[in-house]
Amino acid sequence: MLLAEVEYARPTSVDDAVRLLGAHDGARPLAGGQTLTNVMKARAAAPDVLVDLNKLEELRAISRSSDGLELGAMVTLAELVRSSEVAEARPILAEVAAKIADVQVRNRGTIGGNICSNDPTNHLPPVVSALGATMTVRGADGERTVPVDEFFLGVYMTAVAPGELLTSITVPAGSGADGFASIPIGRDGTCIVNAAASIADGQARIALGCVAATPVLLTTAPEEAAVREAVRGAKLDPPSDVHASAEYRRHLAEIVAVRAVQEAAS
Amino acid sequence: MTEPIRSQLIAVEVNGERHERDVEARRLLVHFLRDDLDLTGTHVGCDTGNCGACTVLVDGVAIKSCMMLAVQADGSSIQTVEGLAPDGELHPLQQAFTSFHALQCGYCTPGMLMSAKHLLDHNPEPTEAEIRRAIQGNICRCTGYVNIVEAIAAAAKGGGA
Amino acid sequence: MSETTVTPDRPITVEETETAPGFIGVNVPRKEDRRLVQGEGVFVDDVKRHGMAYVHFVRSPYAHAAITRIDVSKAVALEGVYGTLLGEEVAAETDPFFQIAPPPAGELKDYALAVGKVRHVGEPVVAVAAATRELARDAADLVEVDYEPLEAVVDTEHAADPGVAQLHDEAPSNTIWQGNFDYGDYDAALAEADKVVRIKRLHFHRFSSTPLETSGAVVEYNRGTGQWTIHSNNQFPGFAIIMMGPALKVGMDKLRFVSQDIGGGFGNKICTHVQLVALCLLARKLKRAVNWTEWRTDQHTANSHGNERVFLDVEVPVRSDGTMLGFKARMIDDCGAFTRYEPLGCIIWAQVTPGVYRWRNVRVDFSQVCTNKSPCGPNRGYSRMQHLWFTERVIDIVAEQLGLDPVEIRKRNYIRADEMPYETPNGCVYDSGDYARCLDDALKLIDYGSIETRRRDAESRGKLLGVGIGSTLDSGTNNFGQSTIVNPELQFSGNNEVATVKLDIFGEIVVTLGTTPQGQSHETTAAQVVADLLQVEPDDVTVRAGHDSYWNSHAGFSGTYASQFAVTGLGAVKGATEMLREEILKIGAAVLGAESTEEVELGGGFVKRKDNPEAALPFMACGAIVNANNAVLPLELRDITLNCRYVYVPPHQLPDTERKYGNLTLTYANQIHACVVEVDPETGVYDIVDYGAVDDCGIRINPQIVEGQVQGATAQSIGAATHETFVYDEDGNLLTPNFYDYHVPHALDMPPMKTSSVESASPFTPLGAKGMGEGGGAGLSAVAAALQNALQGAGRPIVTSSSNPYHRVWELLQNPDESRSLVSVDER
Repeated sequence: MLLAEVEYARPTSVDDAVRLLGAHDGARPLAGGQTLTNVMKARAAAPDVLVDLNKLEELRAISRSSDGLELGAMVTLAELVRSSEVAEARPILAEVAAKIADVQVRNRGTIGGNICSNDPTNHLPPVVSALGATMTVRGADGERTVPVDEFFLGVYMTAVAPGELLTSITVPAGSGADGFASIPIGRDGTCIVNAAASIADGQARIALGCVAATPVLLTTAPEEAAVREAVRGAKLDPPSDVHASAEYRRHLAEIVAVRAVQEAAS
Repeated sequence: MTEPIRSQLIAVEVNGERHERDVEARRLLVHFLRDDLDLTGTHVGCDTGNCGACTVLVDGVAIKSCMMLAVQADGSSIQTVEGLAPDGELHPLQQAFTSFHALQCGYCTPGMLMSAKHLLDHNPEPTEAEIRRAIQGNICRCTGYVNIVEAIAAAAKGGGA
Repeated sequence: MSETTVTPDRPITVEETETAPGFIGVNVPRKEDRRLVQGEGVFVDDVKRHGMAYVHFVRSPYAHAAITRIDVSKAVALEGVYGTLLGEEVAAETDPFFQIAPPPAGELKDYALAVGKVRHVGEPVVAVAAATRELARDAADLVEVDYEPLEAVVDTEHAADPGVAQLHDEAPSNTIWQGNFDYGDYDAALAEADKVVRIKRLHFHRFSSTPLETSGAVVEYNRGTGQWTIHSNNQFPGFAIIMMGPALKVGMDKLRFVSQDIGGGFGNKICTHVQLVALCLLARKLKRAVNWTEWRTDQHTANSHGNERVFLDVEVPVRSDGTMLGFKARMIDDCGAFTRYEPLGCIIWAQVTPGVYRWRNVRVDFSQVCTNKSPCGPNRGYSRMQHLWFTERVIDIVAEQLGLDPVEIRKRNYIRADEMPYETPNGCVYDSGDYARCLDDALKLIDYGSIETRRRDAESRGKLLGVGIGSTLDSGTNNFGQSTIVNPELQFSGNNEVATVKLDIFGEIVVTLGTTPQGQSHETTAAQVVADLLQVEPDDVTVRAGHDSYWNSHAGFSGTYASQFAVTGLGAVKGATEMLREEILKIGAAVLGAESTEEVELGGGFVKRKDNPEAALPFMACGAIVNANNAVLPLELRDITLNCRYVYVPPHQLPDTERKYGNLTLTYANQIHACVVEVDPETGVYDIVDYGAVDDCGIRINPQIVEGQVQGATAQSIGAATHETFVYDEDGNLLTPNFYDYHVPHALDMPPMKTSSVESASPFTPLGAKGMGEGGGAGLSAVAAALQNALQGAGRPIVTSSSNPYHRVWELLQNPDESRSLVSVDER
């Protein structure tokens, strides 16, 4: 419950934030803090420096462009839920964000934080994976974009390197044929398994969560038999824990994949 | 240009009163409120951000003060349960919690009230489903939530008494 | 799951009556609430003292290991660290805690910190005290402890097998206690039976009520008097003092217990005496007050868990018509690493030996083992919940096996209202109750008549619907003499609780209680009783918040536990108030010139002449005369103090320890629950779609408060039945150590809950009331039964565990025959 000693900086520009992250070994960006603070309470992580992103107004914008929807990394989950731009462009993001944790967590937690922490039970990594998002990352050498397929590297590991910062997530304009399904513990609790799906050009792009260190991406025809076949063909080797055995999780993955695609198609 | 610091003088307004304190960067907002300002109405019930007993409003927004650093609250305006009835007259939610027996041990109550206040500030006429969703982040081990939900609904209708 | 809640109309109003006010049975608003809704309660962590040290415990990362080296030098070198406490100091300065178990298991040594060996993950090994919470935590990280890991014992059923590692060297095995309970004539019942249903194994899982406020204390030591003041949230100071005094080698009066508001207890705050002793030693050693705040993960890993229990080789002789003749079983209870309150659980279950059923012939081989898991302690429904779940599971399994209707088999076997008071085969006397009526009411709440229609509707949506029934006997007002059944050398029996009521100099009526409430509304209900007896309003009565053993309001069994306040606590309040009333009447009679107290009466805060209500003396004048103007009183009234102390002692007898026979509690409240579930057969995910709970706790002092207890206890049992479980891996690591993985119900999880009540007055108690609060355990049975019923169309699996998270339901669906293979029927 009690954090180890840590240094703290609250930059007001992204450039300054990137400079701070680069200047200190063991610096970590602090977004909404709804995961990192807890990890630090357990002393499972003890960064030397926290670079607080909460004063970076430039990371809070939501805008629509011809490329689709651009979401600043510090857009909170609550802002995602009530954004008219999101509702028009890609409502699935709002629908899923509304299922994450609870009101207080959504008020602080951010889209960038949820994605970058990449806890396998998180909701948004599979969603942005299914939607084919592009991540914009800034470092000392400037900005680069990373397709979502290359973004997630492992549990709590992404393509954002030390000294870099995820600044925005660009979600392409879609047909609206998106879906999400999950088996949570209780009502909207932590996910045991989840899946997001997006259908375009007769193909379903499915991302399965909770079954591996990173979202598992599948592309298949949207018919139920094909989806089931695709999930089986993925040879999932999910973790076992108190909530589900590997076998049960594998079984549920197939079901939530079907349900997510059905929702997308409906 | 900002440089990292280990502790910082922060200024916050809590329940309308301004406080300045030097705090370590690692101090959680909930411990700042409880230990430094002696506002012990805000409680700690877990160490994982799940229980919501520490819920306060920061600039009008309900947050869990165990997942925010005190230094992050610098310059903000905070409302805690102690600020709900500043002149001793109970807030309609407090009155409704009493009338509907929405508390037993009372430990979750401050956080529950602040979540409920956040709800009613933004949605004065919530449905039962909306009330339940609004307090999903607040665990109560005594009541089974039945009377809490009724109390919030009654307070929304002005029927706290 | 529907999100509609159906409950009777409210809010609460004080019902005005034309006759003299009567407050018993009225929903008087709670006195406690005004401070609690304003954040002005005082919970233990709110207590602060100048220069107070914060304590952090270094805890064992191993389930079972020898401690080979401890080095605190780096920790004490840290600036702001005041000092440490090690197991070797504890062993030198204290005696091991008193053991309830008889030798040889009773020889085991339990200290405030681990001495030489750790026996569960999370066991406190070193205590570190520092100027701030954070520093204490930092310093704890600098303490070096070397361990030599030993084999971890985690399997309850095989914990006492030959060759298994032994937890306590002083005990001959991991078996703490064993006893045979033989009532009626089981062999004759077996011979008489038409059929015998056999169940190989049932399992009741580990969980706890996890009060939202964790444990904690602020302990001060007065060097001048040698007394400790212990501000804590311990809920049973009577027990804590009995444990702590001998350990610290001091008399009872050296341990002053103080508490005001306690954030839930549910039994889980009874066994904190262990940490409190460490804090007492630290406060004395460091010459300063010490604060200990237990964090949630500590609470889960190292505080009281509810007892885990397996039921093996169950045998149920039955007549063809479903009449149950008895049962036989081998039961193994798992108390974790230390005994603490145990092995009392080995007898507590026997308070409800036949449950709500007319089982006359019972043979139980009951044993308790220790394992490398968190120590157990009382948990809401302590030891009876496990047993009652067993009885209900047996009923539903028998019904399933014999093709009998679950409602009919219950009604055939329930103890009937006209049999009350009913003596059970082991000598317990159920005071009153009408279980069949409660069942009918519960079925009405869930509209049982429409179940088949709803079942078809669910099927049309691809879901399986099931209905289940559960019961609880909430036995209250313990006869501590039952402890002599587990250890005949013990010198405990009976029960007691104390209250004082005084009329003070300015006319204030002030009540002190011996209890340590944690949300049970004692201030309110005590005021209701006093108000009725003194003919005043509850607002005129001040009930001191919390507990302070310095108030002289302390009896040997004082505390708040085991469903008894309405009997013992309010019995004491009633007794003390009647004494005070008599004194007020005497003063009134003397001052108003009456011949005797027969000629005066109380009303509206006055004592008045019956023949002339104008001749009235206000209570304030009574208080002033006795306290500050007593020379006006006749000499024979000078012994009046208007400060009356009464100890309520229930009419308990010593049990027969040979036969394990006797009345173990005074009252038996009951609850019948009915539950409807809908299962998704594809995933095992299920929702509770309807729920009814009927409570009968005799005369209800404050119906709204009783209903709140029913709702809350039910929520806990629904949580336990679904997702709450303490799961250990084979190395003894707890896999659900906090609310992240230990999922307790939140507002969206709760089903619509409907409640109603029946009032069967207890003939044995001062107010006709029965203790209550622990009755929610029925939900564990109702959910298990409803799941079994829902799955009857999916291979008819048998539900054999009290813990039924989704994955277990899915396993039942995948392999129904595995569970069915545990059950068989012998035709005779």
